[in-house]
Amino acid sequence: MLKKIAGVVTLSCIIGGGLTAISTQASAYDGQTCVAPGNCWEPKPGFPAKIAGTKFDPRHSPKELAKQSISIAAMEDRNKKRVDAFKKTGNFVYEVNKLTD
Amino acid sequence: MSFALAGMGTVVSTVHAQAADSKQSLIEMQKDPNQWVIPTGTYDNWRYSALKQINSDNVKNLQVAWTMSTGTLRGLEGQPLVIGNTMYYETSYPNYVYAIDLDHPDQIKWKFMPPPNEDAPPVACCDVVNRGPAYAEGILVANALDGKIYALDANTGKVIWVAENADPKKGSTMTNAPMIVGNKVIVGMSGGEFGVRGYLTAYDLHSGKMLWRAYSEGSDEDIKFNPQKTIDGATGKPVGADSSLKTWRGDEWKVGGGSTWGWYAYDPKLNLVYYGTGNPGTWNPSQRPGDNAWSMAIIARDADTGDAKWAYQMTPHDGWDYDGVNEMVLVDVEDKGKTVPALVHFDRNGFTYVLNRETGSPIKITKYDSSVNWASGIDPKTNRPIVNPDKMTEADKNVTDICPSSQGDKDQQPVSYNPNTKLFYAPLNHLCMSYQAFNVKYKAGFPFVGAIVNMVPGPGGNRGRFIAYNPMTGETPWEIKDMFQDWSGALTTAGDVAFYGTLTGMFRAVDIKTGKILYEFKTPSGIIGNPITYMHNGKQYVAVLSGVGGWAAIGMANNLHKGSEGLGAVGLNASLPNYTNLGGTLMVFALPSKAGE
Repeated sequence: MLKKIAGVVTLSCIIGGGLTAISTQASAYDGQTCVAPGNCWEPKPGFPAKIAGTKFDPRHSPKELAKQSISIAAMEDRNKKRVDAFKKTGNFVYEVNKLTD
Repeated sequence: MSFALAGMGTVVSTVHAQAADSKQSLIEMQKDPNQWVIPTGTYDNWRYSALKQINSDNVKNLQVAWTMSTGTLRGLEGQPLVIGNTMYYETSYPNYVYAIDLDHPDQIKWKFMPPPNEDAPPVACCDVVNRGPAYAEGILVANALDGKIYALDANTGKVIWVAENADPKKGSTMTNAPMIVGNKVIVGMSGGEFGVRGYLTAYDLHSGKMLWRAYSEGSDEDIKFNPQKTIDGATGKPVGADSSLKTWRGDEWKVGGGSTWGWYAYDPKLNLVYYGTGNPGTWNPSQRPGDNAWSMAIIARDADTGDAKWAYQMTPHDGWDYDGVNEMVLVDVEDKGKTVPALVHFDRNGFTYVLNRETGSPIKITKYDSSVNWASGIDPKTNRPIVNPDKMTEADKNVTDICPSSQGDKDQQPVSYNPNTKLFYAPLNHLCMSYQAFNVKYKAGFPFVGAIVNMVPGPGGNRGRFIAYNPMTGETPWEIKDMFQDWSGALTTAGDVAFYGTLTGMFRAVDIKTGKILYEFKTPSGIIGNPITYMHNGKQYVAVLSGVGGWAAIGMANNLHKGSEGLGAVGLNASLPNYTNLGGTLMVFALPSKAGE
């Protein structure tokens, strides 16, 4: 399927003289063709519309991708407990397990 | 008070004279040239001092006044603070913090040693550097490499509060200096080479309570962008809904980079905080189709809420690791006959950006190194770089002779703006590279790079430059070529002198009008820190940290030898050990005392 799409692009470039300008733009990414304001990336010919399942697919594990936000939420939670206790007692304690409710 | 100078040349005046109520004390303190009260000298990042006891006539007589071993090795970035009679500075990991009574510099007033965390150094991409502590209201705030923020009693060094801001187990660290605005401690984080999604956070100075957190990528809520109100500086229009998410495929934004390890600026009148975001996720652009917003962007946020007023993406869909984190210098410029509040930014990508700091709209963008070839210029209609297709990197292709290299034409080393000459004094790199990207899989806490890079000196063979520059005209009145990257910051003074250090350890004073080297002294190690100046008991001093490292000298700092190691930087400076060793010394200079003094 991918080969077919790439083939069509190449063929149309060769046949359609009027398409030369477009093909030049598409084959030479220069950052100037915008699909929407602030959104101007464009794939080179042959680059898949979706990278999932292609050789460009990084095949990330959703579990790994979620680890940072889980860690940040835990840090925010521990920080909040420290600040709440600090405000209540006037005494700062870092070790969350030493804080009493 | 020469800080209030407002000439009418190309680049004029500043925010110095303006003050806002609750922030009065730190703003007032910044007007006193006898002290150096915030890391960048002043909120506008000028790194300029009105002191002129040391000047272009007598600087040739400069001498070492006193020195102090830091008790550490590896890269010493950042700078000391001088608050009243006390000097404070922070070392590289393990992030010792020192207070020195300037009446007794032979003694240590107090030393703070945070608990070492061995998780942190292995995930520091570019040496275990730290860019210095910040001060306000009797509190010294020091970030540690392991992501903790320490608020210390400035008198005793006793811990007031601690906050966890970054998790080294997930590849996130802290090397940046905090900026304190009113009661808010504003801090960033590092980890762009570990797939860490960047954020900027504000904490309450007195309690450590988190006040706001704004990510570089993600939902509008996460990034604190209002689709209707936040302006895209490139288009002049509101960013619209999902301005970040629509420029990524799938969940790649979750490891999207955009870390925030540079210097921050603040305009009290507009109440806006300015900073830049770093590289997007992996260095392999084929793996992350899209513009990858808002990596590589200058962002202006309300200091109280964190809400973004505007954003301008300098390098959409980065393929070179041109982190956009470098400092914003706040000046006013003449544009079409009007005086406009602006910011000036020397980006890693080799362009200087002069933007309207109220709106984010570009005023003037120029190349500050003529060798820049990844883009021919900035299109005046789209305000986006016109990328050279031959230099666009992609998976499994070795793209050669790209200028600048990933270290950029300037990295962390901050420039100085001198209001008397109205020029910028910039310590720079001058490098090119080959870059071969490849696919990588993300694993939390492990490098997420995906490129083999080899850096080489730029055209002419020199790796560094120290220049005077006019960003409105693109003119370089003079240039000093240096063998290695000029990785130290610059300081200029009303005495018409610019100070900076070299990687070989030379500490230099230069005539700001001609570029003539008026004084140099070989300090014990290469300099990657930033000079400051202050007055104590009627005498002007200049201080700088000497201790080579950072990305420029990562081979020495991490004992690496293969050319492409250290993210491509090791081979470049293979000869640096012929000139310097690792070190750790605070150097303080002054003019000689007269007999009997």
